[in-house]
Amino acid sequence: MKSVSPAIDVQALCLGFDKPLCTDVTFSLEPGAKVRIEGRSGSGKSTLLRCLLGFVRPLSGQITIFDKPLTPETLGAIRSRMAYVTQEPDLGTGTVVDTMLRPFSYKANTHLRPTDKDIQDRCEQFFLSRELLTQKIATLSGGQKQRIALIIAILLKRDIILLDEPTSALDAISKVAVAEHFYRTDQTVVWVSHDTTAFDKAGHVISLDIACSQEVVL
Amino acid sequence: MNVVQITPFQLSLAYLLLIFPAAVILWYGVGLMKPLLVGAVRMTVQLLLVGLYLQVIFNYNNPWVNLLWLGMMLIVADVSIIRRCGFRLKRFAVPMFCALTAGIVIPLCVFVGLVLWKPNLLDARFVIPIGGMILGNCLRANIVGIGRFYQDIRKDEKLYLQTLAFGATREEATRPFMADAFQAAMAPTIATMATIGLVSLPGMMTGVILGGANPDTAIKYQIAIMLSILCGTAITVFLAVQLTARKSFDCYGVLQKDIFAD
Repeated sequence: MKSVSPAIDVQALCLGFDKPLCTDVTFSLEPGAKVRIEGRSGSGKSTLLRCLLGFVRPLSGQITIFDKPLTPETLGAIRSRMAYVTQEPDLGTGTVVDTMLRPFSYKANTHLRPTDKDIQDRCEQFFLSRELLTQKIATLSGGQKQRIALIIAILLKRDIILLDEPTSALDAISKVAVAEHFYRTDQTVVWVSHDTTAFDKAGHVISLDIACSQEVVL
Repeated sequence: MNVVQITPFQLSLAYLLLIFPAAVILWYGVGLMKPLLVGAVRMTVQLLLVGLYLQVIFNYNNPWVNLLWLGMMLIVADVSIIRRCGFRLKRFAVPMFCALTAGIVIPLCVFVGLVLWKPNLLDARFVIPIGGMILGNCLRANIVGIGRFYQDIRKDEKLYLQTLAFGATREEATRPFMADAFQAAMAPTIATMATIGLVSLPGMMTGVILGGANPDTAIKYQIAIMLSILCGTAITVFLAVQLTARKSFDCYGVLQKDIFAD
């Protein structure tokens, strides 16, 4: 039987700035895997996600996404297979619908432009009213912005979704709706959270507190 | 031409105008007295020296010397912009110099070569004062433009990285920041152009009138210089941002922090 290439393969990754935050992080995620990353504050959870996107250089180690090592040459192809949502997403200015459609004006995403119905259905799924679409993004609450960013990530139809505390500002019902969506999806989902109840049905938990030589293959 | 001469004594009377700003500074107790005095002394000494220098240069009127003078003006503007914006000189000196040069040379050629129809593009009487006026405005516009571009990306790093993470290329992600910087840099020049003559009688027009020409000629010079300034600032701001951006982001599209001097 032909073996499936890992969606994310991280080998002996050492993350940090002046001094290492975590060392020897090794894991391999098959397509569709759901994993929650946990660890104390400053253990490198967010840095790990930023590293997967090439925003931060690891001190050592290697990252491979769908058989492509993360390098400047492969960066465009790799980023076009990922979506990333942060705890406090900064989505710029303009109306909500303008903000939602902006990523689809980028060359890599033009073919993915959603219909009005796609947008409205997703808003409904995450308890956002249609009226919200014409509001200025600056007037939205933190929780509403998180859901807008999550909807954009979903509409981009990426293979890998990187989520950094994506439900920290959400009420319990919305949290469940978001978590349920990402459990059901066939995308690979990496969910960083302090909250042990968030995304608690994830296939596996990687703790960066004990990440040294931890090998996880999903 | 009927230029009204100013004797040293008459000029010294102009310094009486410092009394009111100095009095307000003292009254409010703000720490501007020393900068005010240093500024006034520096201005006087610098302009006296430049006056002597220009006298020699105008009499000599050698194209190469004029070019050298223009080059020196460009270098001083280059260093001033980079220092004022808090960037590392080593990183930005060359691209900024190229941007400034293009922003001066193009409008100068049009103004002197086409509008004034002077075959000698490097005539000291035209190239130095007109170049200086364009360069002064380019300097101000660039301090706003290039400073704003990089400070905004640093301040809104989350937005910038989020844009990259949603699939934008570096060019796509920086474009809105470039547009904002360009708008901020150009807005004062465009606003000045819209109110010129109503709110202010600008420097060149005043100079030409004081030099003895009639207002009709002065207006023509002023229109040409305003258009030159507008063109020069647009070229320098556009090129300064585009050229420096090539060296300011790493191969992953992330802004390199070592462009900042702090």
